[in-house]
Amino acid sequence: MRFVPFLALMQSVVEFDNVGLRYGTGAETLTDLSFTLYPGSFYFMTGASGAGKTSLLKLLYLAHRPSRGAIRIFGHDAITLPRNRLPGFRRRIGVVFQDFRLVPHLSTFDNIALPLRIAGIAERELRGPVAEMLAWIGLSERADARPAMLSGGEQQRVAIARAVIGRPEILVADEPTGNVDPEMALRLLQLFSALNKLGTTVVVATHDIHLLRDVEGAQMMRLDNGRLSDPTGSLRYPPKPLVLRN
Amino acid sequence: MLLDFALPAHDRKLIPEGRLSGPMPWVIAIILFLTLLVAASGLTLAHAAQQGGQDLARQFTVQIIVTDPFERAAKRAEVTQYLRQVDGIRSVEPLSDASVRKLIEPVLGADILDADIPVPALIDVRFVHAQAQANLRTLRASLRRIAPDVRLDPHSAWMAPFYRLMHMLLVLAGTVFLLLMAATSAVVILAVRSTLNTHRGTLEIMHLMGGTDLQAARLFQRRVALDALWGGFVGFCAAAFVMATLSDQLAAAEPSLLAGVAFPVYGWIILALIPLAVTALAMLMARFTVISALKKML
Repeated sequence: MRFVPFLALMQSVVEFDNVGLRYGTGAETLTDLSFTLYPGSFYFMTGASGAGKTSLLKLLYLAHRPSRGAIRIFGHDAITLPRNRLPGFRRRIGVVFQDFRLVPHLSTFDNIALPLRIAGIAERELRGPVAEMLAWIGLSERADARPAMLSGGEQQRVAIARAVIGRPEILVADEPTGNVDPEMALRLLQLFSALNKLGTTVVVATHDIHLLRDVEGAQMMRLDNGRLSDPTGSLRYPPKPLVLRN
Repeated sequence: MLLDFALPAHDRKLIPEGRLSGPMPWVIAIILFLTLLVAASGLTLAHAAQQGGQDLARQFTVQIIVTDPFERAAKRAEVTQYLRQVDGIRSVEPLSDASVRKLIEPVLGADILDADIPVPALIDVRFVHAQAQANLRTLRASLRRIAPDVRLDPHSAWMAPFYRLMHMLLVLAGTVFLLLMAATSAVVILAVRSTLNTHRGTLEIMHLMGGTDLQAARLFQRRVALDALWGGFVGFCAAAFVMATLSDQLAAAEPSLLAGVAFPVYGWIILALIPLAVTALAMLMARFTVISALKKML
């Protein structure tokens, strides 16, 4: 008789094994990260400024390759994945950047539609979902506005809408509620939660650990000086619910 | 690559619709104007060299060097009669002594001619086709049976240095043409690099959302193509205007001086194709530059 983690029976979405990241010749920004993310999980990643949250997210959305260790995403080795196959993987990942990174010369509508257009969705097919998303984030009236004409909170909502419009399998958000009022923050978390219930794995980096209680079933990952830690001292996330198996 | 023009309007918006960079179409227009003039000169030279070369290869002069004017006239008539019976000769025109004197008077002066210096009898002969040296040797041998002091002077021999010069100018025109093409490529590369830097943020976003290098390259190719086409159109119009003006001046000049110097009809087709070729080259350079730059991103 032995103990087997029951989540281990599921196909993982992301696996980090002893991952380290350093920029140039500097010290390691991330050290010995080992964790597994499963489909339909919801994670809040917390940590002090400079703990490495954004760097970890960059590894998750394939903006960087690690300096060492192994990363598997959607069952594929992300380190040896040929460059020409990366776009296909990136289209399955939605990203909300901390600085929004909206395209300045595109309207709100066009910014939200961007991932669908990149994916080659026909114009007539994307108009409905984009309009729906605009209504959901309360910016239907501002569909033609450029980012410079939007407030910080409005820009953040557009960035979130852009990240979720393509129903990504993984949603990575860097401080997505940082610039919005509590009511909008709650609505955005509800949107993330709804996507999560549809099977999207959500990773939200935030300073606000109170958000955890707003999402049912969410778990927390904590980064300290580039290392992953949890209240039990284990470096492997999520905490492993165990089932007894013969 | 031509399909890149057919990018949907919403994809074109990814990089602002304005021209790639302000002066680029005008720089292309100026370079193309010069390129077209060089190409036109090259084509005119090539046409003239080909036409003149063919003409000269068919022409030669028969000289009969006999002191006695009566015997010279008799030999000239005999040789003329013989030549008129030879197959493949289009025309045989004996020059009168007066005509010959008029020809050489500017060189030797009237006084010397008056001193009763013997002048050769000349017969201008034109073949239907260019003749090989062996044919000329055979003909010379036949003529020497009539007039032992006969000489055959192919026109191609004394015009050869002039045509060598024309060929050198042709090579020079080709070299300048290639250099101008290289300059066009350099302009495109610089403009694309500058625009890449301006829109790096947008490209990074596209990249992180799963945009491929080719998708980004297509956006740049389209803009470069539009700039090159516009520049090409302006350059072509300017060059055509200059050439039309020069053609009028040529037509008004002494025809014998510029015989054979004319811009061939097929040249216009080639000139019209050059802006299109430059557009294709510019698109290729843009594609290459963008893909090379994006490969530095993960």
